[in-house]
Amino acid sequence: MPPDQWNAVALDSQIRASSSNPVIVNDYAVALWRSASGQVNAWEDRCPHRGMRLSLGFVEGEQLRCIYHGWGYAPDGQCRQIPAHPDLTPPKTICARRHAVERRYGLIWTNLADDPQAALPDLGADEGWVAVRSIFLTGGVQEARKAVAGDLAEWDGTVSDGDVVTLEMPDGTRLAAAFQPVDAGSTGVHFVARGPAATAEGRHGLARQVVQLRNRIENN
Amino acid sequence: MTITLHDYSLSGSCYKVRLMLGFLGLDYDRRQVDFYPGRQHKRPEFLAINPLGQLPVLEDDGLVLRDAQAILCHLANRYDGGGTWLPRDPARFGPVMMWLMFAGGELMAASSARLHDVMSYDLDIDAARRSARAAFRVLDDHLTHREIDGATWIVGDHPTIADLACFPYVALSGDGGIGHEEYPAIRNWLREFRKLPGFHAMSGIPEYV
Repeated sequence: MPPDQWNAVALDSQIRASSSNPVIVNDYAVALWRSASGQVNAWEDRCPHRGMRLSLGFVEGEQLRCIYHGWGYAPDGQCRQIPAHPDLTPPKTICARRHAVERRYGLIWTNLADDPQAALPDLGADEGWVAVRSIFLTGGVQEARKAVAGDLAEWDGTVSDGDVVTLEMPDGTRLAAAFQPVDAGSTGVHFVARGPAATAEGRHGLARQVVQLRNRIENN
Repeated sequence: MTITLHDYSLSGSCYKVRLMLGFLGLDYDRRQVDFYPGRQHKRPEFLAINPLGQLPVLEDDGLVLRDAQAILCHLANRYDGGGTWLPRDPARFGPVMMWLMFAGGELMAASSARLHDVMSYDLDIDAARRSARAAFRVLDDHLTHREIDGATWIVGDHPTIADLACFPYVALSGDGGIGHEEYPAIRNWLREFRKLPGFHAMSGIPEYV
């Protein structure tokens, strides 16, 4: 049973309209896809037909199409099109496995539990958060969170440790690091910011600092 | 005047040249070389054309050129009058060359991993994947900053031979056991490249639909 837990899996701005993307959470492969109109979906990365990864598929309007035989799936998961049998209405049993997905604080979050009850981490107002960048660290999520919190503690400002690690910077900028447990050997860390540094120039600077943080952690 | 490409369908380096010829709308003859399993590129007849025993080789109007990156420069220099693919202004020429060398250098670790997994080459696969990962990070870090500026391409505001040369082995890296999960900016760049007019597919890299 997957834990009832929300994990950030991408920066919202990096999951483009009409794209399907491979994401791994707790060893489980997810196809994170966004329709032409902007709706985000997190599905098991597996076509119900032949098991092909749906993250290799393509988005056509509001449907995700498998790269293998072109089967098309609507956001409700139902197969709607089978190109080899254009006159057939696909049976209801052909359905992709969907997972809970939310957009907040400039991040995309998924919860793989069958019946999610947990609340998203609370970072206050949703408005104003902008993407900084994602990094991937060697090691499990506990180790990565400890290392990131430890590094941020050396920056100017005040660190709050939690599911999401945040740093209040002297100029009033708030930097947040949200964690994606990939597997025992890898963790994604997605950084977003809010406040005075939420400009193009500020994002460049913070993104460079985050790369330096990654390098320090890996060289330790 | 005929252009002849000594070619192997599954080679990412040959694909660079096929893509360029396609983007420029040039007709050419393809001479298929049985790279695997035939190892025809190591036979005396081929070594007479390229003593390095490597693909691709391009013959054009008496010139015999090896090295995919050199061939891209030649084609851009000779046939792309507008300088779109190889900008000559100082702000872009140097950066394009820099990423072109990266494509023929550090990024080739991804090609090594693929040769190991797909064509049974005897090499240190862990070292190849480690090096490829380091190279992909360099590219993803660069493209992340490009995204912040609202830009899409490696250099400037349209695709150049820097993008073209980096594209194939990044796109094909799954064949060598290197996924794109950790490189969101690379994923977005790959998708935009596949959308270019005149783009064509190869085995393992589908058309953008």
